[in-house]
Amino acid sequence: MLELMTAESNFDVESTAPPTKEELLGRVAQGDQAAFGDLYDQVAPRVLGLVKRLLVDHAQSEEVTQEIFLEIWQTATRYEAGRGGASTWIMTMAHRRAVDRIRSSQAGRDRDTKIGIRDLAVAYDHVAETVEVRIEHERVEKAMSRLTQLQRQAVSLAYYGGYSHSEVADMLHIPLGTVKTRLRDGLIRLRDELGVTS
Amino acid sequence: MNKDTSTGHPEELGGAYALNALSQDDIALYEQYLDQSEQARIEAEELSDTAVALGLATIPVQPSAALKASLMDLIKTTPQLAPLGGPAQAAHQAPQPTDAPAPVTPLTLVPANPATPDAPRSRREARTESSTTATPTEPATPGPIEASAGEPDAGLLAERRPASTGTGAQAAPLRSGAEARAQARWFQRPARLLVAASAAVALFVGGTVIGGALNDNQFVEQQAASLAQINAAPDSQRASTTTGDGQEATLVWSNTLGISAVLVDELPALPSDQDYQLWYINGDGPLSAGTFDSTGEGTVWRVLDGTMHAGDAVGVTVEPNGGSDAPTTDPIVAFQS
Repeated sequence: MLELMTAESNFDVESTAPPTKEELLGRVAQGDQAAFGDLYDQVAPRVLGLVKRLLVDHAQSEEVTQEIFLEIWQTATRYEAGRGGASTWIMTMAHRRAVDRIRSSQAGRDRDTKIGIRDLAVAYDHVAETVEVRIEHERVEKAMSRLTQLQRQAVSLAYYGGYSHSEVADMLHIPLGTVKTRLRDGLIRLRDELGVTS
Repeated sequence: MNKDTSTGHPEELGGAYALNALSQDDIALYEQYLDQSEQARIEAEELSDTAVALGLATIPVQPSAALKASLMDLIKTTPQLAPLGGPAQAAHQAPQPTDAPAPVTPLTLVPANPATPDAPRSRREARTESSTTATPTEPATPGPIEASAGEPDAGLLAERRPASTGTGAQAAPLRSGAEARAQARWFQRPARLLVAASAAVALFVGGTVIGGALNDNQFVEQQAASLAQINAAPDSQRASTTTGDGQEATLVWSNTLGISAVLVDELPALPSDQDYQLWYINGDGPLSAGTFDSTGEGTVWRVLDGTMHAGDAVGVTVEPNGGSDAPTTDPIVAFQS
């Protein structure tokens, strides 16, 4: 992947195709602020979408999104293209930081109050903004539908709710071991349905 | 709730790990297991990718215009981490050209185990490691330099080449001493004039610190996240001064977050039996806030351990390797927050 990027930067400099996120991230790693701006434009709505899904509060979600992008700026030099796409790297970081925020502060408690008994199952009734997003929705929705109800509930609480496995166990009144099993079996099922391979 | 996590096979933690649903203890447990099992590493990576698919299925939300404006402003004063592992090796194997001013290349992060970059413990870490293995194959292309030459402040841009293009750095145009100095003083300059590459940053960590529960990558990641938090905080403040030997030093902090970081320019390297040590100094006396080391080049920075309280002074002393319980020397620099 790195060689591929190098080749592109050598030979496709004049290309009119917009740079990929991976190329932009490579430039960010070299201190290119304009590339950072372009990368931001491409991925910020998805980052904020995910963070807000977890944190609910908009202002707080923007704050965490800002931290995530500062971290992208600081650590772009560590991104290794051969190990996965830029979106994967960024969204993994985004989820971790949103969860960190929930765990680290009053934020979590505020959020719980705000969510109340909100249904944490994935909502698919929104109009997706782009075809790409809608396709991804449908793909994930379909894959989620293959899980058992109990697996789906546990995975949703953990990923979209940002709850720890012990919190999930408390909420569902089930043993921690059962939660672990549901999370792993559920994700493995999702992986297979989505055709994810490393 | 975590007490029964030590029972059962660690492989069962794989799902919760990918979903960021584990406690720190469980993460350490699971990553230990990943160290031992290639199959587990593959599963961890696949499940992490699966989690990302869940993330990409959420509804995008447009951020406010203010967020981007604020970020574009912030990155001008936020240093970038040096790539992990690579530069140290490059520095040993290929000394810089003689006409290169000292801080011309990205500086080393002190990787604690630079010899094992090819055995990441997990995807979580692997994704944040540098691609040192790609270095030799990457041609020395001036592409990145050209790519940003059209930017408004191009004349002031001091391009930094990351370690992944370390071999190229030797062939690349070298900055003048003045540019290098300008780069080194990134944090003191008006934002508009700041170099694009910010600073070459060295984050040196005392062996005793990283020998603890955290592995190096986690430590670096947490340091980076904390520095990002400080910079992003609405009440972020900074104070600059010089060390006894005249190096530029800056303290950045946020009282609401209770965290702070010290950045020092071209802080001299210490003999291996000594470390720099950070201290909070207040009415209760000095309290250790961690140790670090420096290569002597570029900007070294370290987020302080523990909590900073409003009004605390922060000092740096030279101590025996591993640090002392109380300062044994006069501070080389001190800040009043």
